[in-house]
Amino acid sequence: MRAVARWLIVAVLLALSGPAFAQSGVTETEIVLGCSNSFSGPLAFTGEQATKFGVDLHFKVVNDGGGILGRKVRTIYYDDGYKPQEAVANTKKLVEQDRIFAVIAPQGTPPVVATMEYLEENKVPLLFPFQGSPVTRGRRWVFSGMTLYDRQARMMIDYLVGQRKLTTFGALYQDDEYGKAFLTAFEKDLARHSLKMMVAESVKRGVNDVSAQIAKLQAARPQVTFLVLTPPAGAQALKERQKIGWTDTIMVSSGPLTDERYLALAGDAAEGVEGLSLWPDPLTSDLPGVKAYREAMTRYFPKNEPNRYSLSGYVAAMLFTEGAKRAGKNLTREGLVTALEGLKGWDSGILPPLSIGVDHETQRQGFWVKVEKGHFKQLTDWLKSE
Amino acid sequence: MGGALVLLGALLAAWPWLAPRYFVFLASLVLINAVVAIGLNQLSFGHAGFLAIGAYTAALLTIHAPALPVIVTLVLAGSLTAVVGLAFGVPCLRLSGLYLAMATLAFGFVIAETLLSLEPLTHGADGLRVPAARLGGVTLATDTGRYYLVAVVAALLTAAAVNLARTRTGRALLAIRESEIAAQASGVSVARYKTIAFGLSAFYTGVAGGLFAFVVGFLSPDAFDVFLSVDFVVMIIVGGLGSVPGSVAGAAVVTVLHDGLASFQSYRPLIFGVLLVVCMLFMPGGLTSAVRALARR
Repeated sequence: MRAVARWLIVAVLLALSGPAFAQSGVTETEIVLGCSNSFSGPLAFTGEQATKFGVDLHFKVVNDGGGILGRKVRTIYYDDGYKPQEAVANTKKLVEQDRIFAVIAPQGTPPVVATMEYLEENKVPLLFPFQGSPVTRGRRWVFSGMTLYDRQARMMIDYLVGQRKLTTFGALYQDDEYGKAFLTAFEKDLARHSLKMMVAESVKRGVNDVSAQIAKLQAARPQVTFLVLTPPAGAQALKERQKIGWTDTIMVSSGPLTDERYLALAGDAAEGVEGLSLWPDPLTSDLPGVKAYREAMTRYFPKNEPNRYSLSGYVAAMLFTEGAKRAGKNLTREGLVTALEGLKGWDSGILPPLSIGVDHETQRQGFWVKVEKGHFKQLTDWLKSE
Repeated sequence: MGGALVLLGALLAAWPWLAPRYFVFLASLVLINAVVAIGLNQLSFGHAGFLAIGAYTAALLTIHAPALPVIVTLVLAGSLTAVVGLAFGVPCLRLSGLYLAMATLAFGFVIAETLLSLEPLTHGADGLRVPAARLGGVTLATDTGRYYLVAVVAALLTAAAVNLARTRTGRALLAIRESEIAAQASGVSVARYKTIAFGLSAFYTGVAGGLFAFVVGFLSPDAFDVFLSVDFVVMIIVGGLGSVPGSVAGAAVVTVLHDGLASFQSYRPLIFGVLLVVCMLFMPGGLTSAVRALARR
């Protein structure tokens, strides 16, 4: 017993002595970045497109053009299958073994949240995660990626109430952080216009049968029904509505849901659906940045179709490149954060001009789309979210 | 034997000073898995469920009763898991072989679903952040601190398991493993000792779950899926069923392999499946008996 007690004392003393100093992942010739993402599991397609065909696509262009101030960018990815504990292990490995400079474009709220505290503690930048929960807001080493959910909700309500003069709203939302962040924000923004959410029905994550909820929503007869779901459940909701012939409501999809996969799954049931789009159409947009993206895709990955996931990763890599260039030859993590914070009206040619302040929010906008003949048709210019 | 133990103890104690930081974290995971493997005394595909109960209990206790020392938290996590294990185990006494394995499989799914439904408590699919463990006035907030907590607890539980084998209960369990009928004929109450075995196994897994919560720092029901249960089974089959050193070796092999395959999760079930088949064909007694056979040669 005394031996055990002695070990315990030693253990406690050793525990107090603190971690080793972390290296920065920058050499004369190279910058190493990485992330843990979904390459298996429910979001595997999104994860692979955003990283291997998005982030890497832009870095191929950069590297072939001589790199960032002479340094080539190398990326390392590990698969977490959307499991937070795997994301923790992978991120530790990236930081402590692979000694990456920063984490770029990881995906999903639970895996990102699971690693956030650790990255903050170790002062490793967490750049542009593919998730929109406002939990990432107000952190020293975190820069948000997609437009945060509360901003999306504000744009949607302000547009529908202000410009379209609609007054009654219902919502079908996924019963987790994603769905609830939207619902809370919808309710707050409706209250600002002295309106209320008439009816809100929840769907468990991974459940695609929404017939009971759709029936209840129809009974309440809202003018607008928000869908805050994943593509399979969202498509199912549209099909269910078509089946019961419910036509006197406008179905509106949240930003993360407004994508091509959701359209494809819903087929002709998607006709007339509206939503908030966070990215210009990757296949048809004439914006110079999107054209350059498509050209790069044809050059480096001719077999891979352009889509908004690879486009989002491509934008993340563009933003990093811009920040690292501004941080200068003596690239440090602090320098990168300061450089990104100083970005004012920077034009990617894809999104409206970006200004990142001390709040570390990158994307802040979206525009309204409506499905016509199986494609998203743009109805408005970029909406304000202030 | 004594010399080897001292050497092993010294290596465990010195590890954070010898190895890079990430390997300290990895070693913690190896030891946690070793505790589960030592406790896993029959074919079960539901041990991820027990691990989850222990993990969530420890996490919730640390959140809502931060004054509790970590040792008490771990004992409570293990005890609650043991109670659930007994409640589940007693009705399963009538089952054996394949049917028992199927019941444990169902148990794992039920626990994952329960965690999702107990949302006010567990935050459902969003997951739960686990605060750092506290011991007296000290917060174990570094990898090294957590490693020593895991190492001490794992050493105590391993010693207990080795000693159990020398007691009346241990001999009874051994007898049942070799042949239930023979054990019953010699006056061993099979039902009673099987229940004890269930409870002990759940206790070990529950404590390991508590350690897991502290080491990983974030819990979500997704973490405790059937593949994790299968990993545990692979550990004892690779290591050798019912052998303490074998369980530790199995845990080490599987954990390190899992880490090495971090870029290829989709191939993991395939690789582990092949490993399992190869072990059963060429090394039916696991690493333990393979090493013994080599030593005899």
